[in-house]
Amino acid sequence: MNTRIRSSLIGGVFGFAIALISGGFAGILAGLVAGLINGFSVPQAEPLNNRAGAVRQGLVASLIASVLTILGIVIRSVLIDPVIGTPLNIASLLISMIGALILGIPVCVIMCVIRTEPPARERIGLAIVIGIVLVTYPWLDQFLNLRFMNEVIPVLVFILMALGLNIVVGYAGLLDLGYAAFFAIGAYAAGMVSSPHFGISLSFWLAIWVAAAVAALFGVILGSPTLPLRGDYLAIVTLGFGEIVPIAIKNLDKVTIHIWNYPLLVNFDITGGTKGINPINRPWLPVIGEFSPSAPTPWYFLILGIMLISIFFISRLRNSRLGRAWTALREDELAAGAMGINTVNVKLLAFAIGATVSGLAGAFYGSYISAIFPESFRFDVSVMLLCMVILGGLGNMSGVILGGIIIQFADRLFLPQFSTVVQKLIVASGNVSLREVNFASDFRLLLFGLTLVLMMILRPQGLVPSGRAARVMPTADAEVSHD
Amino acid sequence: MATLRPRAIRTMPWRLLGQIAVAIFCLLFLAIPFVEMVKSMIADPQLLARQLLIGVTNGAYIALIALGYTLVYGIVELINFAHGDLYMLGAFFSLSLIGTFSLTTETPWVVRAPILIVVLIATMGFTAGLNMLVDRWAYRRLRGVGSRMASLISAIGISFVFQNLGLLWGYLRFPFMHGVMGSNAVAPKSFPALLPSVNLFAGTGVRFGAKDLIVVGVSVVLLIGLYLFVSKTRLGKAMRATAQDRDAAALMGIDVNRTISLAFVLGGALAGASGMLVGLYNGTAVFDMGFTAGLRSFTAAVLGGIGNIVGAMLGGLLIGIISALSDQYISTKWTNAVVFGILVIILVFRPTGLLGDDTVQKA
Repeated sequence: MNTRIRSSLIGGVFGFAIALISGGFAGILAGLVAGLINGFSVPQAEPLNNRAGAVRQGLVASLIASVLTILGIVIRSVLIDPVIGTPLNIASLLISMIGALILGIPVCVIMCVIRTEPPARERIGLAIVIGIVLVTYPWLDQFLNLRFMNEVIPVLVFILMALGLNIVVGYAGLLDLGYAAFFAIGAYAAGMVSSPHFGISLSFWLAIWVAAAVAALFGVILGSPTLPLRGDYLAIVTLGFGEIVPIAIKNLDKVTIHIWNYPLLVNFDITGGTKGINPINRPWLPVIGEFSPSAPTPWYFLILGIMLISIFFISRLRNSRLGRAWTALREDELAAGAMGINTVNVKLLAFAIGATVSGLAGAFYGSYISAIFPESFRFDVSVMLLCMVILGGLGNMSGVILGGIIIQFADRLFLPQFSTVVQKLIVASGNVSLREVNFASDFRLLLFGLTLVLMMILRPQGLVPSGRAARVMPTADAEVSHD
Repeated sequence: MATLRPRAIRTMPWRLLGQIAVAIFCLLFLAIPFVEMVKSMIADPQLLARQLLIGVTNGAYIALIALGYTLVYGIVELINFAHGDLYMLGAFFSLSLIGTFSLTTETPWVVRAPILIVVLIATMGFTAGLNMLVDRWAYRRLRGVGSRMASLISAIGISFVFQNLGLLWGYLRFPFMHGVMGSNAVAPKSFPALLPSVNLFAGTGVRFGAKDLIVVGVSVVLLIGLYLFVSKTRLGKAMRATAQDRDAAALMGIDVNRTISLAFVLGGALAGASGMLVGLYNGTAVFDMGFTAGLRSFTAAVLGGIGNIVGAMLGGLLIGIISALSDQYISTKWTNAVVFGILVIILVFRPTGLLGDDTVQKA
């Protein structure tokens, strides 16, 4: 009973927070999110196939969550909105509350019922529910007038990258602190071949493959010097590459190379320097035409598609011979080598495949914002990705996705909106001394930093640990037992 | 020699592959500009001398920070990622104290010098205490329980927390600080020019001001003090013993946790001193300056042989000179890349550094 209440409280708190911070009809979305989280976190009803028990359990859990969500909606519209200048609107308040209930409770009940099914059917059922939510989201967003789409797409890009980083850090155990470099390389490779910059104007559908190939190549090139290094030295060298790549991109705008007084290149602009590269070609499809920046729905489905394909391939790789070799490498490199694993190839493949995923993300992102700048690939991007992987659970894809959703939404939606609300409250209260504090940008680093430290201290295996980490982590790590 | 811990390498047959890759890279991208650089160095020896002296001054403070990395790495094998940001906090703390004592360029020297020394000591105390607290709160409980990766990740986390503290520090507008933090929290903070800027080599075309001498002098005094502490005192001996074998040291009656704390305290104090010196020398401090400084110093520590105190000093000096030369002869834009490149090259070709000892193999 205890864990059941706790897990429904988790969903409730999420719903409460979203409803409180975002206001308006976001409360309806909050109800849906609370229901989804509940459905996942509520423990399986015992015994299996006990439908009635599951329904009862889902109802109880979603009621607890809904009460909290509605509390958030009410506090927002009754207490906060009037202060910050939006008059109280009873009709929209009621619509929000009812909408949150209508969406939240059935989702939670359905998921609880699915959770009682046998594993194979459970997986299919969960996939269908999540699929429906993902596919209908753009219309929900439009219908509720939330305008979250322009934030949701970058969130998905970053989650895709976190999945790629998870291959390197989570599966192969190579702590890579310069992962954003591959994002940059992918974005620039795609940008160079599909923009007026060099006069090569490939279609997006070709450029994305170029980006993936170039990123994989750089994964091998930058990975090969790090082969003899382990643990923290590896981390530092990858960090070094992660810094060198943006510096190089920023400064390779006037390249002059003389070979024995014969000018090969004179002031040749490779990367566009600080101006970056723009405009980059947008994808084109028969029915939709060229994707437009003002209609995010096609972009949403494109990145969703890239993600699904990546997830499929990564999960197949995870269970392949290569995936098991990665695990062996992570646990004990010497033993893995002694067992006949070619550690060089396996490591380089981890770097290359991780880089490929990041390259795909980079190509999409460059095309989506139609421009790329060297400043967007700094160390904090790498650390944010690492945060996502570690928060969710090293080596577990669903965990990484959850971690990515939490960190990214906190960073892109929650903190800015929180900041706006708090600013308005401060202005309304007439307290001048705090007016200039920007709660979004001034507490971002603290959020990442504390996430890393607290996770390492309290729950090193992550929110959703992989089955293996859950068994191994509580005792001791293999590496330590040597000391 | 005060070697804290002989750092070992693992020789693998496929090491060669990485070395070849780096060698090709070096040949392609470094050799040609290097020849050009040497040519222009010979053309103007005065400029070279000036850059070398700047390099010595930079090297002095880099060595101070590098020692913090070396001390901690030598004992607990943790790259204390937050160390560079501790240096930044040191600069901010000293600036706040300077504001509190309302030191300006008009303050007479009789008053200014003792107060500066008090501020230096207070700053060292502050960063030492902070470093010790972080060790106790974040690193100690991971020691031996989690993997080494766990401590490293938590150090990265602490680094970000420190950076954010530095950012929020900019909002401090207490009346007693006399507005030293300026009006924009994120903007670089400016220090009053408290050190004399008389050129000691006036008339020769080479610049080495009195403030350079002060920075180098204070650093050298601190470095010698630390060296004597580690090599001559009982506590220093305990530190060396803990570095060599923690379990055996514990069996010999050494309080291992206290000794590790001591390493964090010493490293923190040096980082604080360095932060204040650099603040006074350059006249500015920004909340994100710790990242670059930290990485340069870490490179210095690795270059000298991590865990080796004399090596860290030597490495600091070399990195200081290299970055000063790179500023002049390549471009300031590329200096960070040059330093990182050196770091990568050392780690790939000689992970034990210049003075490191590679006789012991440690798996």
